[in-house]
Amino acid sequence: MAIIEQPLAIGTGRAPEVRSPLGVFARPTAKGGWRSWVTTVDHKKIGIMYGAAGLVFFLVGGIEALLIRIQLARPDGSLLSAETYNQIYTMHGVTMIFLVAMPLGAAFSNYFIPLQVGARDVAFPRLNAFSFWCFLVGGLFLSSSWIFGGGADGGWFAYAPNTGVAYSPGHGMDFYALGLQITGIASLVGAINLITTVLNMRTKGMSLMRMPVLTWMLLVTQFLLLFAIPVITVALFLLTFDRRFGANFFRVEAGADPLLWQHLFWIFGHPEVYVLVLPAFGIVSEIIPTFSRKPIFGYSFMVGSGIAIGFMGWGVWAHHMFVSGIGPLSVTAFSLSTMFIAVPTGVKILNWLATMWGGRLRFEVPMLYAIAVPAMFTIGGLSGVTHSVSPADTQQTDTYYIVAHFHYVVFGGIIMAFYGGFYFWWPKIFGYKLDSKLGKVNFWLQLIGMNMTFGPMHILGLQGMSRRIDHYSPGFGFEFWNLIVSIGAFIIALSVASFLVNVVLSTVRYKRGLIPPAGPDPWDARSLEWMTASPVPEHNFDEEIEVRGLDEFWHRKYGYDKDHKVVRIATGEEVAHKGDNKNVHLPSPSYWPLVVALGLPLIGYGLIFNLLLTIPGAILLLGGVYGWVMEPPDDPNKAHGHDDHDDPSPGLALASVGAEEVGNG
Amino acid sequence: MADVAVATHAPAEHAGDDGHGHGASTGISNTKLAMWLFLGSECLLFGGLISTYLLYKNRIAEGSIGPKDVFDIPFTSASSFVLLMSSLTMVLALSAIQRGDERANRVWLLTTAVLGSIFIGGQIYEFTGFYREGLGYTTNIFGSAFYTLTGFHGVHVSIGIIMLMSLFVRSYRGHLHQAQAETVEIIGLYWHFVDVVWIVIFTIVYLIP
Amino acid sequence: MKRISSPHTGSIGAFRRGPRRALALVGTLGVSAFVTSCASGAELDTMKPKGPTADDLHNLIVPVFIVAGVVLALVIGGTILMIRKFGVKEYTEVDFPEQIHGNTRLEIGWTIVPAMILAVVAVFTVSVLQTQNKYHKDQALSVVVVGQQWWWEYRYYDGGFDPAKNYDLGIDVRLNEIQNHKGKTEKHPVIVTATQLVVPVGTEIDLYITSRDVNHSHWIPALNGKRDAIPGRIQPWKIEADDPGVYFGQCTEFCGLSHSRMRMQVVAMTDADFQTWWAQQKAPATATTPEGQAWLDQQKAITAGTFNSKVDPSKVLAAPTASAADRGMAIFRGQCTRCHLATGINEDIYTGEAQQVSKAAPNLTHFSSRTTYAGGIFNLYNPDGTVNRPQLEAWLRNPPKEKPAYAVGERGMPNLQLSEPQINDLVEYLLSTGTKPAAEIITKTEVE
Repeated sequence: MAIIEQPLAIGTGRAPEVRSPLGVFARPTAKGGWRSWVTTVDHKKIGIMYGAAGLVFFLVGGIEALLIRIQLARPDGSLLSAETYNQIYTMHGVTMIFLVAMPLGAAFSNYFIPLQVGARDVAFPRLNAFSFWCFLVGGLFLSSSWIFGGGADGGWFAYAPNTGVAYSPGHGMDFYALGLQITGIASLVGAINLITTVLNMRTKGMSLMRMPVLTWMLLVTQFLLLFAIPVITVALFLLTFDRRFGANFFRVEAGADPLLWQHLFWIFGHPEVYVLVLPAFGIVSEIIPTFSRKPIFGYSFMVGSGIAIGFMGWGVWAHHMFVSGIGPLSVTAFSLSTMFIAVPTGVKILNWLATMWGGRLRFEVPMLYAIAVPAMFTIGGLSGVTHSVSPADTQQTDTYYIVAHFHYVVFGGIIMAFYGGFYFWWPKIFGYKLDSKLGKVNFWLQLIGMNMTFGPMHILGLQGMSRRIDHYSPGFGFEFWNLIVSIGAFIIALSVASFLVNVVLSTVRYKRGLIPPAGPDPWDARSLEWMTASPVPEHNFDEEIEVRGLDEFWHRKYGYDKDHKVVRIATGEEVAHKGDNKNVHLPSPSYWPLVVALGLPLIGYGLIFNLLLTIPGAILLLGGVYGWVMEPPDDPNKAHGHDDHDDPSPGLALASVGAEEVGNG
Repeated sequence: MADVAVATHAPAEHAGDDGHGHGASTGISNTKLAMWLFLGSECLLFGGLISTYLLYKNRIAEGSIGPKDVFDIPFTSASSFVLLMSSLTMVLALSAIQRGDERANRVWLLTTAVLGSIFIGGQIYEFTGFYREGLGYTTNIFGSAFYTLTGFHGVHVSIGIIMLMSLFVRSYRGHLHQAQAETVEIIGLYWHFVDVVWIVIFTIVYLIP
Repeated sequence: MKRISSPHTGSIGAFRRGPRRALALVGTLGVSAFVTSCASGAELDTMKPKGPTADDLHNLIVPVFIVAGVVLALVIGGTILMIRKFGVKEYTEVDFPEQIHGNTRLEIGWTIVPAMILAVVAVFTVSVLQTQNKYHKDQALSVVVVGQQWWWEYRYYDGGFDPAKNYDLGIDVRLNEIQNHKGKTEKHPVIVTATQLVVPVGTEIDLYITSRDVNHSHWIPALNGKRDAIPGRIQPWKIEADDPGVYFGQCTEFCGLSHSRMRMQVVAMTDADFQTWWAQQKAPATATTPEGQAWLDQQKAITAGTFNSKVDPSKVLAAPTASAADRGMAIFRGQCTRCHLATGINEDIYTGEAQQVSKAAPNLTHFSSRTTYAGGIFNLYNPDGTVNRPQLEAWLRNPPKEKPAYAVGERGMPNLQLSEPQINDLVEYLLSTGTKPAAEIITKTEVE
């Protein structure tokens, strides 16, 4: 991957002495090559790896989507058997949500939270590495189901009892349950780490209400994960115990109620929607002010509405169950709460528009995406409101109308915002801008492709086309729009290809010196991450920054004259740190997070195929935890002052790493 | 979790800037804050398991083995009392290390771990008895829900015991001093949480018919 | 592949409810557009209601679509306006807009205004929700709808069905058992049919929806929204058709392999037609010839113990040979009883414990009075009224080939390895089981 091969500037150059905590591994010291990536605890490298992994899974999920669209392009499609189709569409959803949208959100969280609050790294660097490896091995474990007999086939929300052994005898659902359990650990550990970082690691003067909107939205996201992940953990455990150990949680004959799964899943699942969308909102809130030359309109309302969404997101889960038979009273309550969660979302959209109003809009590629997001998200949001009209929802739900709805939210809102984020921060991360012409091709293909794909799905849904059907018969009026949808899907594929071409071309050109380095502040931006060199040096900032207000970096570049007109005080280059301070104390790399994470899929395979396999898994896990706690967070031989990293004590490491896991093993 | 809320809304003053810009802005150390967050998350984990149990405990077929047939309230009350006492000894361990009395700290840590182990022993004894009476994990929906809920709690206690013992070993080797009192405090937080969860489980599962 | 035009419901019905706008909210190319979804043969179209509840839903959602369209037009229009008005090519050192940080009054305004619009929507929503969930429990006709992988069963109860009275609404609902799991004797349905729900027009029919295996969802878009069929729960729902006709449906909750092939139809008839249908369905099946009937009667006597074949072997009748239908009947008793019930033919030996995960298979008493089978995906009759024999034979020859099913996993119909003569006889028997429906129904129910 071109994305991860970009060398990063390295801060400390002294070769430290080597010490081996368990006598197994030497303390890793690699500064370049693959070793520096597998042992890294640097939040930026971890963020890049999250992004790269997310993009690879994006291609996997995209190929699954194309297979679905080839199958449905014509009536009675026969490319895929019913069995394969059910696995493909399930894995498309699981991949796109858990292995694409979540890690891409995590990529932005990891890279930018410490930078935007002016910290040197996250609170627990090794736990951060552990989160990433957990996510990666979980994702690979989930995907390996294709080699071991086929993917999960119960839909991404996997309603019981269709996921029981009686109805899904293959191993796909086991991979689903255990794979999501492993990626869940990644999210939970990451959430604890990042919340601690935001609350505790802010630089001098960075009060909560001076944090950029992106950091705020990511903070709310992490809180949602913190409380939502344990709920799906319970659900997945119950499912695993049913499937592997003969428990009775979803066996109706034994008295189980299938609605238990639905409630547990959606109590997780609805906050999860906001886990995906809030980072996107944050990204848009960074891009629009930069390219409007105005501060964000209504900062406190932006923050407040994000928090409101975070709270209200817990009170709407049963709107996924309006036809499940939860009773008219519950339907009424959830119908109303769902309608009113539209209010804070609407506030955000109007505030973005108000930020643009009267501004100087410059249509660089990131801005194109950031402008498209409110429009596309509004379509998804409004169709969401039509879903909240619960009696009518009994017509719309489980048809292509709802497929259209959530794709406008996830693709039109979230993926578009992530694209904008890539173009916006690429120069900060890698030191050069992506090509703007290709970027515009990318954008327009994306916008046209996604509207051609997901727009007609509204019509198909209202025409009565059910979701999750492997074929449709001619004569229901579905033929025309399905063909359009499938053509649109391939336009999206072209758009993705143009992005990849852009990345490769721009990288090659930069390496050959055909593109100039972007410099610290290529967009005349506003927040702290631009106040250091590009690419960001390993130690982030040369010295501690004292923050005196929102948009600190911008206020160091600009002031007001006596007519209250904006005047330049300094250039971004002058204000930004040079990134050449060699004396910043850094956390040392470590093998142990990877070792611990590698134990998890082994335990997973053991639970599915042969319990004996869990033994090496448990040895890796427990041995890894032991090595981890015995290894000091910082190499004592590096003598960089006192150790102020609050890496976990033995107990905490066990508690946070082990608690979820011991139930597993 | 009220305490997490407190942590979240703590004033954004800057405690202890140390030149690198990572003093604890909230005044709570990173590790302690992380433990509070983790425990907040754990509330939802046990919340899910307890809800599952409540939904299912009465959904067994007539004649199938149920709560009334197996529970031995006096025995479980006794073991609950033991676990509750371990919270007291945990407090004593913390207060010992805070005033620098490492030996007392070791004694109370060990006592806490032993009390926890007695509780776990009681749970194993209880489970064995239930199994002999015909309540297996797969017997009926009550069995599945009961063993899963109490089993998860038992695993949490066991992890706590391992953490206490590792503290004990560290202290014995001379690596745990007054300066590290916070480590004991944080593990104490976990231990108290697990105890409180047991009080909830004991009340809901055993005492409320 | 032919498709018959959408159910004829008469222009009178349309006039009575006034003009209807079938509006669909579409975002295409980033622009909101109202289009009429007027595809011909759109039997599943949610915007063409044919019953009072569906009308309510339609009248509720169309104004919401319009409001949503207006909001969308404003947002996108505003965005385009700003792009045109405020766009610049490059930034200069002096050209800065006024640095506005917000306007509290404005922001409070656009918090409250959407909330008020939504409050209005909420009022209408709650009102329709109440109507939609109001049932007339004393209805004369109630139907228990049972979903199963991958077909629907309809069970008619004479004099209504009160779940509280007739059934313990507990956890293990085995509708095909006479006694429920707590030993209470349950009321038996008088008619059990599959795939096609026959109802009289202009009458609210209470449905009690449940499932024998996984979740399904029962949905007849023209008559009402959908309601999930959840095992262990009996969920009330209702439908009512204004006019005689055929209304298509499709299972909409993913239910496994052949989810897309789990379809159903509502056949709405005039009261008189319905009474005729009702009487026909209630009658038990019989053999087609006296020879066959005599053999059948003797077989039942053997089961009942009133005739002992060992006492007088010479009196034992040979299986019927003359009539193909009766030969098929004998094969049916021998081969199909493990799963299928045909009242009058094999109720004496049918156990109600089919060799399937779900323990039930479609009731075939009056099979040929239905026009589709195998989950509503095959036509029994050609549009001209003749029998579609090749399809039925192919189905009997190898069902898993015709419709994906985990037959080895005891779901769906297995391949019984029938010989060609057996298949021929079974087809003859199946065709003798009921009255052929009216030609109009045959054409209107035609699938693919």
